[in-house]
Amino acid sequence: MSQEIAVQVVGLKKDFILSNQAIGSLKTLLVWWKRRSVKKIQVLKDISFEIKKGECVAVMGRNGAGKSTLLSLLARVYRPTAGSVKVTGRVAPLLELGAGFHPDLTGAENVYYNAVILGLTRKQVKERFDKIVAFSELGDHIWAPVRSYSSGMIARLGFSVAIHVDADVLIVDEVLSVGDFEFAEKCLNHIREFKARGGTILLVSHHAESVRAFADRAIWIQHGEIRMIGTPDEVIPAYREMSESDLGKGQ
Amino acid sequence: MSLKNKVHVGASNDGEPAHAQQFASPAAPPSQLTLSVESPGMIEELQELWRFRELLLTMVHRELRVRYKNSFLGILWSFVSPLVTTVVMWLVFSVFMNNGIHNYSAYYLAAFLPFAFLQQSTLDASQSVLSALPIVKKVYFPRELLPLSVVISNFIHLLLGFVVLFAYLLVVYIRFPGSFPIQPTVIYLPLLLIITLTFATGMALLSCALNTFYEDVKYLVTVGMYLMLFCCPIMYFVEMVANSKINREPYFWVYKLYNLNPFAALCIAFRKTILAPTPVLGRDGIRYAAIPLDWNYVLAAGLISVATLVLGYSTFNRLKWRFVERP
Repeated sequence: MSQEIAVQVVGLKKDFILSNQAIGSLKTLLVWWKRRSVKKIQVLKDISFEIKKGECVAVMGRNGAGKSTLLSLLARVYRPTAGSVKVTGRVAPLLELGAGFHPDLTGAENVYYNAVILGLTRKQVKERFDKIVAFSELGDHIWAPVRSYSSGMIARLGFSVAIHVDADVLIVDEVLSVGDFEFAEKCLNHIREFKARGGTILLVSHHAESVRAFADRAIWIQHGEIRMIGTPDEVIPAYREMSESDLGKGQ
Repeated sequence: MSLKNKVHVGASNDGEPAHAQQFASPAAPPSQLTLSVESPGMIEELQELWRFRELLLTMVHRELRVRYKNSFLGILWSFVSPLVTTVVMWLVFSVFMNNGIHNYSAYYLAAFLPFAFLQQSTLDASQSVLSALPIVKKVYFPRELLPLSVVISNFIHLLLGFVVLFAYLLVVYIRFPGSFPIQPTVIYLPLLLIITLTFATGMALLSCALNTFYEDVKYLVTVGMYLMLFCCPIMYFVEMVANSKINREPYFWVYKLYNLNPFAALCIAFRKTILAPTPVLGRDGIRYAAIPLDWNYVLAAGLISVATLVLGYSTFNRLKWRFVERP
């Protein structure tokens, strides 16, 4: 494996405006104008790490620790408050699969739309179309409108599109439980192959087993800061110990 | 039948060397994306937009598909609406009101089509980011593609509308041969269309950026556009404004102000470049002579359009990263 850097995160900070009164009308704008004391929450405070090409890194942490925010920043959905994110190559986020599907269009039309959003040209989609459909196991349903799909079918198609776009970096957010057991197994196999070919993976998981099985390194995030970086065997026991003691405190 | 075959073949290949090849193929040059706090300038934003031109085309295509997805006539609806308008306008203005203008429908459509385009694309664009919010929250692409695709698909409808207008004029000419109804100045039509498109794009970006935060904007736009319909010479003629009582000497400022409104200026320009000048029946049965098109007002509309586009684009770029953080 080469030692090129695929993802470089330097001094990353992200604040969100906390508002109990949703900004959604001009009235709130005017009120907001009067008292500009806006409550901000720091979701990420000064995060820095590097991921080498071909590495699989797991991000661990409790709910609200800032994992999803971090992944969204890597997927270029948010802009950082401070610091920078540098990603070499194409990112394919496997977050909430099929979120971008239009219910009135057929599965086939949605495949085109989503694959182009993820960076393919229409010609490339045409070439890969059969493979995408085959992987999703949707068969003739691909010609039916997506509103007639079950949630499992949507997830399968979403996954199938996302892995066929030649991504260099995959962002996987707890989606390994797609569809039935067999399909989940197929997805895992595909992710293993992707890694074997030198693809970079960022994985969010609470499953110690899947972290151990996939990840070369683990990053533990707590309260928006990096608590620990190391091999899964170093990080997982420490993480477990921490959450157990937290549970103890809670009781 | 054939599909099942394909699926089978695909499935047997799945995950084998074919895939490995796929990932190795230099389909996309490895791009380096850096995301930092500094906002890129307008030139960089435009380059980024150009990189995503393929997605823009796909979105326009999708926009056109979705609009008539569940309807029987499909894209034919784009022709139906101007056709029905033609008939109703003929009935109302030429028969009921008998305003003495031969083929009033053509005059109506020539001004109404560009206005309807401006109205519809501004309204549709205002909702474009909000309705795509689920995907906007997951994947990166230049957000301005959403309002832009709405504008372009509406522009295609505008062009189809003009096809109906010209077909109607030809039919009228064949039935009542006389002077040819289409003026030679129709060659300026592309220029007018470009100005209208520029203006619509600016308005769309502006209303989209603002409406994503303050949903009042779309109601303001709805009401504003409805009132604007009456402030443009669509259901009447600009000659009536010029000869109205409040348009007085020495400055005739009412007429000048009226023409500085880019909506009105564009309606006037479309009507006067396409169709023959027609005297208008005014107050007390006086006929007002047709006023020739003043290109200075078209120039003003063009400048306002460019200014609107620059304002809209910079506003959009300033706000677009906060769309997803909208609480």
